[in-house]
Amino acid sequence: MSPFVLTREALLQPWRLWTCHALQFGWTHALLNLGALAVPAALVRPRVWPRMALALLVLAPVLGLAILLHLGDAEYRGASGLACAAWALAGVHLARARESRMEGLVLLGLLSAKLLAEIVAGATFLPGGPGWVSLPAAHRWGAALGVVGSPLLAAGEGRKPKA
Amino acid sequence: MPRHPSLFLAAVAAAALLAALACLGPTTVSHRSGLMEYLYPKNRLAPQPNPAGATLTLPLRIGVAFVPASGGTYPASLLPATVEKHLLDLLKDAFRNKPWVKDIQVIPTTYLSPRGGFDNLDQVSRLYGVSVIALVSVDQIQYTNPKWYSFAYLSIVGAYVLPGDRNDTRTLIDAAVFHAPTRTFLLRAPGQSIVKGSSTAVNLQERLREDSAKGLELAMGELARNLDAEVDAFKAQVASGERKEVDVITSQGSSLRATGGRGGAFGGFEVMAGLALAAAAVWRRRRA
Repeated sequence: MSPFVLTREALLQPWRLWTCHALQFGWTHALLNLGALAVPAALVRPRVWPRMALALLVLAPVLGLAILLHLGDAEYRGASGLACAAWALAGVHLARARESRMEGLVLLGLLSAKLLAEIVAGATFLPGGPGWVSLPAAHRWGAALGVVGSPLLAAGEGRKPKA
Repeated sequence: MPRHPSLFLAAVAAAALLAALACLGPTTVSHRSGLMEYLYPKNRLAPQPNPAGATLTLPLRIGVAFVPASGGTYPASLLPATVEKHLLDLLKDAFRNKPWVKDIQVIPTTYLSPRGGFDNLDQVSRLYGVSVIALVSVDQIQYTNPKWYSFAYLSIVGAYVLPGDRNDTRTLIDAAVFHAPTRTFLLRAPGQSIVKGSSTAVNLQERLREDSAKGLELAMGELARNLDAEVDAFKAQVASGERKEVDVITSQGSSLRATGGRGGAFGGFEVMAGLALAAAAVWRRRRA
């Protein structure tokens, strides 16, 4: 087993809490998650990217710990939990500004629809592969953490640059 | 008194010299227990595996035992019982806290019959209430080579004080894990060690015994580490469907073959919708 996937051993090997989000189960899995991560990056202004990256870096281990609650003996890898956090972060951030409110609300609406569909239908319609299935709980935790962590994007927003 | 005392003394001296010179030559001692001889005695063919395959329900009750020495001689154990138990306890301690282990039973070799085969393995697994058994086989060779000054042993005093023997103990321990009810081979892992040392002629046997015990302990330590890695590889193989004859049921009751990995995954629809939104936003900003 890869020393970078998320398993219970992450409690003794904490790097797994970060690295598991970068590992995928295959090219399709990787491309879909990369596409999902590209959406908030394309919607927010480039000047917000560093703060968003920092926020995701902070949220990643918290999300990893939350996923451990649902993992049992299995292993976890994938960026979609983090992508959900990014969607929630960007959605709340965009919805706060008048000029981008519509985009933020649509993004949050799409995220809510996805989570609702997963609650209703389970993980059956999500991509999976030989030996792995999607873990919808990771998406719910990611979205919740994204909303909770959204002030991280607002920090320093109104600060004027030094002369 | 012999009629020719000088001739008698010369003969005794020559015999002593020959015996001493014989001690100066290189010697090899080997300890070996063969897994194949135990499981497939008399070149018997491997039994047909159960077509239903092996299903392991976590957490597992596991038995560990040394393969008995072949040949049907008494005692069946290759190692003293205390050494055997100490080594198996090392393995037991290494896996005691693994979440997939419920209990590890150390099975004395005396409970296994030499050349007993799978029938004997079935008996032992039922006796101990374990379905998975790790059979540990040992291959240890000890070489003793005289150093250049070992001729000083001929002085008698030299045999007590000069470390004129170079000892080399090479140990290979192999653990093969089987699911006894279905006679399915699950995985294997090796552990090896090399212990080098020297000794005087007088304490050679004692030193070889010490080196043997040290070599076994070091090899068992490496075996435990390798076994841990092999277990992880085995789980990954089951999860990916490479091991079609084996499935693992997790403590949550789900099949590892079906759900070995959990992934965070976006569906194509969400990604397309999100990208469409991003494209629309970018287009709107450019227009404004």
